Amino acid sequence: MLRFIVRRTLWLFLVLFVVLLITFVLMHLVPGGPWDREKALAPKVVEALNKRYGLDKPLWEQFVNYIWGVLHGDLGVSYSYSDRTITSILAHGIPKTATLGILAFIFALIVGVPSGVAAALKQNSAIDYSSVLFATIFASVPGFVLGILLMMIFSVVLHWLPTTGWGTFQQLLMPVFCLAALPAAQFARITRASTLEVIRQDYVRTARSKGLPESTIRVRHIFRNSLIPVITVAGPELANLITGSFIIENLFAIPGVGRLFVQGIFARDYTLIMGGILFYAIVIAILNLLVDILYAAIDPRIRYE
Amino acid sequence: MDKLLEVRNLKTYFHTQDGVVKAVDGVSYDVNKGETIALVGESGCGKTVSALSILRLVAEPAGKIEAGEILFDGIDLLKLTTEEMRKMRGAKISIIFQEPLTSLNPVLTIGRQISEGLEFHRNISLNEGLKEAVRLLQLVGIPHPERRIYDYPHQFSGGMRQRAMIAIAIACQPQLIIADEPTTVVDVTIQAQLLELIRNITKELNTALILITHNLGIVARYAHRVFVMYAGNIVERGSAMDVYHYPCHPYTAGLLTSVPRLDEPRKIRLIPIDGQPPDLIAPPIGCAFQSRCNYSIPKCQNEKPPLQEVAPNHYAACWVSQKDQRPWQKKSL
Amino acid sequence: MAIVSKAQTVPVRPHHSLWGDAFIRLRRNYFAMGGLAFILILALMAIFAPLITPYTFAEQHLDQILESPSWQHPMGTDQLGRDTFARLLYGARTSLMVGIFTQFIVLCIGLPIGAISGYAGGRTDNYIMRFVDVMYAFPDILLIILLRSVLGGSIYMIFLAIGLVAWVNIARLVRGQIMSLKSRDFVSAAKTMGGTGNYITWRHLLPNSLGPVIVSVTFNIPRAIFTEAALSYIGIGVKPPTPSWGAMIQDGFNLIFSKPYMLLFPAIALALLMLAFTFLGDGLRDALDPRLRH
Repeated sequence: MLRFIVRRTLWLFLVLFVVLLITFVLMHLVPGGPWDREKALAPKVVEALNKRYGLDKPLWEQFVNYIWGVLHGDLGVSYSYSDRTITSILAHGIPKTATLGILAFIFALIVGVPSGVAAALKQNSAIDYSSVLFATIFASVPGFVLGILLMMIFSVVLHWLPTTGWGTFQQLLMPVFCLAALPAAQFARITRASTLEVIRQDYVRTARSKGLPESTIRVRHIFRNSLIPVITVAGPELANLITGSFIIENLFAIPGVGRLFVQGIFARDYTLIMGGILFYAIVIAILNLLVDILYAAIDPRIRYE
Repeated sequence: MDKLLEVRNLKTYFHTQDGVVKAVDGVSYDVNKGETIALVGESGCGKTVSALSILRLVAEPAGKIEAGEILFDGIDLLKLTTEEMRKMRGAKISIIFQEPLTSLNPVLTIGRQISEGLEFHRNISLNEGLKEAVRLLQLVGIPHPERRIYDYPHQFSGGMRQRAMIAIAIACQPQLIIADEPTTVVDVTIQAQLLELIRNITKELNTALILITHNLGIVARYAHRVFVMYAGNIVERGSAMDVYHYPCHPYTAGLLTSVPRLDEPRKIRLIPIDGQPPDLIAPPIGCAFQSRCNYSIPKCQNEKPPLQEVAPNHYAACWVSQKDQRPWQKKSL
Repeated sequence: MAIVSKAQTVPVRPHHSLWGDAFIRLRRNYFAMGGLAFILILALMAIFAPLITPYTFAEQHLDQILESPSWQHPMGTDQLGRDTFARLLYGARTSLMVGIFTQFIVLCIGLPIGAISGYAGGRTDNYIMRFVDVMYAFPDILLIILLRSVLGGSIYMIFLAIGLVAWVNIARLVRGQIMSLKSRDFVSAAKTMGGTGNYITWRHLLPNSLGPVIVSVTFNIPRAIFTEAALSYIGIGVKPPTPSWGAMIQDGFNLIFSKPYMLLFPAIALALLMLAFTFLGDGLRDALDPRLRH
């Protein structure tokens, strides 16, 4: 197990390096540069800026310098937010993005998994049909469309909730719900399908033949098996929530990492783009690693490769 | 002898999109205390369904027990509440399934799976249950049981898994064990070992056994009495020796010539039964075996033969047999 | 007609091929057929948009700015006096084209790479899968945004940007399918009879892994449509004046308090189209699932 984690961590560093390299190349392929403004700057000024930020050096040297910095925990200085380090910008954005993502993830799990289980255990009942219908709707309606519709109802018509902003509990409700809708629906669909599959398994019949109470059969024999596929998608779902929240952050004007990243792209803020991608790639990699460990913990067949 | 189990006129149907499948259609049999009976027949003849009906484990909602009585120690199991029935399963009646790999939960240790039934029926702790599991694994012949209880099913070989299934079945010392083709999926060399094990254990614990098999060859050695099933009905019943040596139904005779016999010279060729069992959605009016039978008479097409005594304590549902003619016996002897 | 009814009276259950069976099951699924009908009707309306509405998507009537729905403008007009209904119809063209062409690109890249990886195995497979791992390490939609910035805002470049990121899933799926099929008997049979690698891949393996691919593509179409709408919504999608539902939603969002219907129509259209594809995808998955075959 330890060897597995060490190997995966080493591999992770390689992946992060390649991700940064690809991002760096793509970024410099984008037409224009960080100093493009409405009013063109004087060539002298641009030259001075390039020199100050090291952009006059050859691309490979810039990349090496950047990686060297990253290894020392220095993500560089933003080009668009004058004199702020990327680390401090991210430090402001990450808590918001993470709060949104984690709250939405918990909400999605709490709503999605039980409703999928309930639907499967009462297959073809009213509970099943309504759960499937809601899951299908929330799995297809885009989060920002949902957000807009909610905003129209709760802010424009009913005046119950503020449209945008960050800080209060009321301001959290709609963004969290919009973010959670899709993963909740997916959890419900996957849980339902896998539970239906497990219910038909021979070992569930064996458990019944031992005369165990139905509650024990469900918890010990059905759920433990039917949750395995849920765990495999939980990691990517959380990663999606954190990386995909930029639209919701945009809609509800929440200053999270996603909004910063998009602004970074508009402004050709190279270091900000790199910093954002690095953050997201680390989140994805760590979550995938967690899934693998959790997977091995719940399914003994995985442990002995 | 004391009757432990009496199945009377059991009907278990499956309601499918294509119609009602009469998997078990009016079957009666009985098991005495400590006795071993065999239910014999091809796959799809209803023998497994009739056994699952005893435990009320037929897959709902498609499958349903439509009629009949299942008396266990004088109590009709079909009239018990779900909770009362649950207390019967594992404690009084248990079952060994055909597929030991899929019948064991892949994510629980073997020890846990053996002990959990004990924990509920005897109200003991997990630790005590595991201690008992060690003893049971020892009993079914698994080496180093104190270590093996912490293994998962995928770490066991096919034969060992089936031994573990046997340990689960005998854990609470039930009065009746149903063994549903317990040896079909294991190697031939291990089949005999497992059957011996089951026989010795049932003898030792004085447990009754319903052995479900398609192999009439093994029946004579392990069972006291035999019930031959065909298309959801019992077509022949009698003592194992009588049925084995003097089959009174042409289907039984066909089963006998289609499996190797130890008491016959090797030169005798195995003769398969031609054709397929009938559609159980719309069974034929007359004898269900008639279309595959070499000895049928016109009456077989129009009237279903009842199960009648054709020799002392030997019953057969066959018009030819009931006229005291057994042309198939001559051929096989 | 007479022949058909005669065939139906034959008491034996008719034998169908996998596809025939799947088609029958799909036809019985009303949600899937409803979804399909919605998509087809929308596609027809998008294709024949010039016959349905007298306006074009770019035509500005500065004397008719921000009008409420009326007989003249069934869904009103926007802040530039453009007819919302016309823009919705032409916007459907964008959405449907994004859905279909990105999947075309995805298949062109993902199918061969997945097939090669799965069939060749060994080192080739290892290298390809390591690359796929790297692709998975990127946040999908942010990589698309980056690619879109590199490639520019023409609609074809949007197809390419989405396709270049989304092929990974199909490649993985096809690889998995082929790896599991490779060990099956009918492939060994083809090998024994002298079939070569390419022949076996194209003749036996790909057709057999087609079912899950079709299902996956059906589910990926709405994701691509969503991605384009989201990009256009935050202002980095297709360049105006090409109409896009996402951009229309953004326009409407600025006027959410005064003219809510401007927002409502494209939002609902987008939601319905995605729902239609999900219903169709669910139906296809259930219809093509071989475990349900009797």
